Amino acid sequence: MVLSNEDELKQKIQDGYIVESREEMTEGYRKALIVQLTVQADTELMSAPAYWMAARHAPSTNTQVSAHAIIQDELAHANIAYRLLEDIGESKEQLVYGRQPHEFKHPYGFDQPLDNWADLVVANGFFDRAGITLLSDVYQNTSYGPLKRALVKVDMEETFHLRHGEVWMRRLAKAGGEAKEIVQCSVDWMFPMTIEWFGLPDDLKRHSGQLDYKLKGLSNDELRQVWMSSTVPLCEELGLNVPAHFDSETEEYVLDYPFPCEYDTADKRWVFEDGESTWDTVFKRWKGRGPMNEIYVESIQRSRRDVGGWLAEKRQAY
Amino acid sequence: MIERVYDVFARKHRGDQLAHIGYVDALDDEMARVYAWKTYDEENWFEMCVIRRSNIIPVNRQDGPFSGSKGEGE
Repeated sequence: MVLSNEDELKQKIQDGYIVESREEMTEGYRKALIVQLTVQADTELMSAPAYWMAARHAPSTNTQVSAHAIIQDELAHANIAYRLLEDIGESKEQLVYGRQPHEFKHPYGFDQPLDNWADLVVANGFFDRAGITLLSDVYQNTSYGPLKRALVKVDMEETFHLRHGEVWMRRLAKAGGEAKEIVQCSVDWMFPMTIEWFGLPDDLKRHSGQLDYKLKGLSNDELRQVWMSSTVPLCEELGLNVPAHFDSETEEYVLDYPFPCEYDTADKRWVFEDGESTWDTVFKRWKGRGPMNEIYVESIQRSRRDVGGWLAEKRQAY
Repeated sequence: MIERVYDVFARKHRGDQLAHIGYVDALDDEMARVYAWKTYDEENWFEMCVIRRSNIIPVNRQDGPFSGSKGEGE
């Protein structure tokens, strides 16, 4: 069955229709799905070098194992998302190995260095929770059948990453002293980093079609609230300060700092004292990419050409 | 490096349906087995197998990933 009419497809989807193949998509649907899956795939992929370099700070062989198990999961999730892209006409080879570092679509948070064990476990606690928040919403609402099925494994494993983050945040925070101070340092830069990850506030958001096509269910601000509704109480319980609180009148979480805000990469700190920035400035910063962008992408791409070349030579020799 | 697409099928318990659970890209069958076992380790599978996507013969549909020689991706 070929549907050519965007409105017709949107209506069917709103009535519960599940898309199963590229042939059933309109060009608008396919494009919106490509954007969503590219962000998803690139995010999973770039988390791997970020976590991998941080895993060097693991305090024991067992923690090395759990850190690397998480990296393995992330690479598998990336592979799944790139395969879904390939099934709708994109090239994984081009996406993973053919792009320049700044062309990847992952959030700015995965352009940052994770400098110690606390950075890694708070990344598990914050970034992976952002991943679950976004992907659970996709799982519950997506109109694309292959993606819904693929997310069963992904959600299961992301929950493990989050638990790893929470257990370690709790252990370090409860220890007090220097252990707690260093977790607080990680929280200080990663909390606003994750808040920003969810993107433009709803009142500024341009219409993307992702809701019409039911590629997601919740808006950016709703997703930000979901993330805060578990992150803020966790940090409060652990005695960690976060720049947000629950407003019992509006029954919403409210940020206690200027949002959006600018980030000083050299000092790894948010420049709250400069006041509210603009989203244009934020988009420019995102597009310029962060300090680890080229290093992370290079670590993924570096051997593809060499090993591919060796194998090609071998084929010719036969 | 020309990798083939392999689809992964598995069942958790005796008596379960064999179900499509995912896919891997691999240079050959042996690597596809290893990748599948290592990648889809979220369960203790009772049985797992892989099949080259290009060997899947569609019966009633002409669309979707199993509909032709699209499995020979890079």
